[in-house]
Amino acid sequence: MSRKVKNSLFKSSVYLASFLSISILLFLIITLISKGINALSWQFLTSESSNFGSQGGIIYQIIGSLLLTLSAAIISFPLALGMAIYKSEYIKRNLFQNITNTLIYSLNGIPSIIFGIFGLIFFVNILNMGISWFVGGIILAIMILPTITLSSYQSIISIPISYRENAASLGLTKWQVIHTIVLPRAISGGFTGLLIGLARAIGETAPIMFIATAFSGVTFPNSFLEPVSSLPTHILALAQQATNPQALQNAWGASLVLIILVFIFSISALIRRIHYSKVNY
Amino acid sequence: MKIEKNIPAQSLCDLTISNLSVWFTDVEVLKNISINFKKNKVNCIIGPSGSGKSTLLRSLNRINDDVHKIKTSGTIHFNNENILQKNQDVTKLRKNIGMVFQSPCVFPKSISENVTFGIQQLKKLSKAEKAIIVEENLKKVSLWPEVHTRLNESANTLSIGQQQRLCIARTLAVQPKIILMDEPTSSLDPLSTRAIENLMITLKETYTVILVTHDINQAKRVSDHVFFICNGELIEEGTKDHFFNAPQREETKEYLKDEACIC
Repeated sequence: MSRKVKNSLFKSSVYLASFLSISILLFLIITLISKGINALSWQFLTSESSNFGSQGGIIYQIIGSLLLTLSAAIISFPLALGMAIYKSEYIKRNLFQNITNTLIYSLNGIPSIIFGIFGLIFFVNILNMGISWFVGGIILAIMILPTITLSSYQSIISIPISYRENAASLGLTKWQVIHTIVLPRAISGGFTGLLIGLARAIGETAPIMFIATAFSGVTFPNSFLEPVSSLPTHILALAQQATNPQALQNAWGASLVLIILVFIFSISALIRRIHYSKVNY
Repeated sequence: MKIEKNIPAQSLCDLTISNLSVWFTDVEVLKNISINFKKNKVNCIIGPSGSGKSTLLRSLNRINDDVHKIKTSGTIHFNNENILQKNQDVTKLRKNIGMVFQSPCVFPKSISENVTFGIQQLKKLSKAEKAIIVEENLKKVSLWPEVHTRLNESANTLSIGQQQRLCIARTLAVQPKIILMDEPTSSLDPLSTRAIENLMITLKETYTVILVTHDINQAKRVSDHVFFICNGELIEEGTKDHFFNAPQREETKEYLKDEACIC
């Protein structure tokens, strides 16, 4: 086979792969919009669901999902930053670096249902916290911790050594060097990781359905230890009533709202990444 | 090896190295070096690439501490205190012994914030105090006329030569007693190099300057006292005139002739 043919073949295959990937995504989005747009209305977005979701809107599901992701963000972000800074600034031996890397990557690879089971056994049964959005937030936080940690860590290690040396040579303590040089980069990278993590967390059903959510009959929680309803579990409940056209339409509507929220997080992460790649470090 | 010393009576600096050896893993990169730096002079350390000049300089403010698997023996006395002691406060040491690096490294902040970057971490400053420090130190490095109208602009908008002078201003703002310069003009054009060299000559009135360079002509232009290091050993030292006009050692003569190292 000549080099020219090989080149054309390779080029065609990558074009085809890209075309297929984009087509699948576009097909998914177009289907969601076409099926879901009919359900979307101001009333749908702002009213309470009734009759197991086949009637009414999704306000408490949106609030529940946002509450879960917000609590996950508040819990995971400082922990991930601390872990990334500890990894980059204090672990000197390669062995410990390798151990922490293995642990973080392993945590990232755990199926989400396992997090749900862990939450059910540890928080709900052993600690007796009951089914609550707060427990859901903790579990989602653990789940997205590796994404934020790795994103933050990658940002820190991309800081040229000259910045640390210049800061240290001015008489700054290790903490001051971390505070002035490392932390801003860690926060910036971590924030991108957080948005990517939240885009994943907001769509998760398995880890929260046993520990944080109720399928119907819940409104705004009055305490940390009350369950909420969320968009993914609501869609799951509606999908089980697929023979009811009204329920199915509401499922499409809720799916469209969920995908819009995911896109908001993903696009924000992309914008931040582009913005910070321009920062001259 | 016997070290040639060609030194007339001069005021010695508060910085003295005695029998300093440095190892990276098992490689001895500095071998039993003893030096008395001269106060309010430009002390120039010259030698070929890889001879240990920068390692020597970086030992003086212990910026080498973070290098993995580095070992040091001997003493470095600053103000009658051995700075190589384990309990040495390195942040205080670095405040007194400032350093300018090979490539300018400005922080992604404004020009004025760069000048006060170090000093404001060391003490609380009012807005007025900051403004005075910025003006004073930018004037010392002759950068004030060029930047005084755009102090709030990013330091990255400056030319490389201006950035290096800004880095020197940032170092001066911390009020060190000694300034270490590790080939500070190696990435600069001839005009900027000359500006930094003139600055060194001005700075020695107030500070002791210790300059590392592999540029013999630069050493001739700016130095008062020269230390020649080759293969980790101090081969010869002397005043500029003695060192360049009447070197004693064969190794020095060879190096000055065609920059070849026969150590």
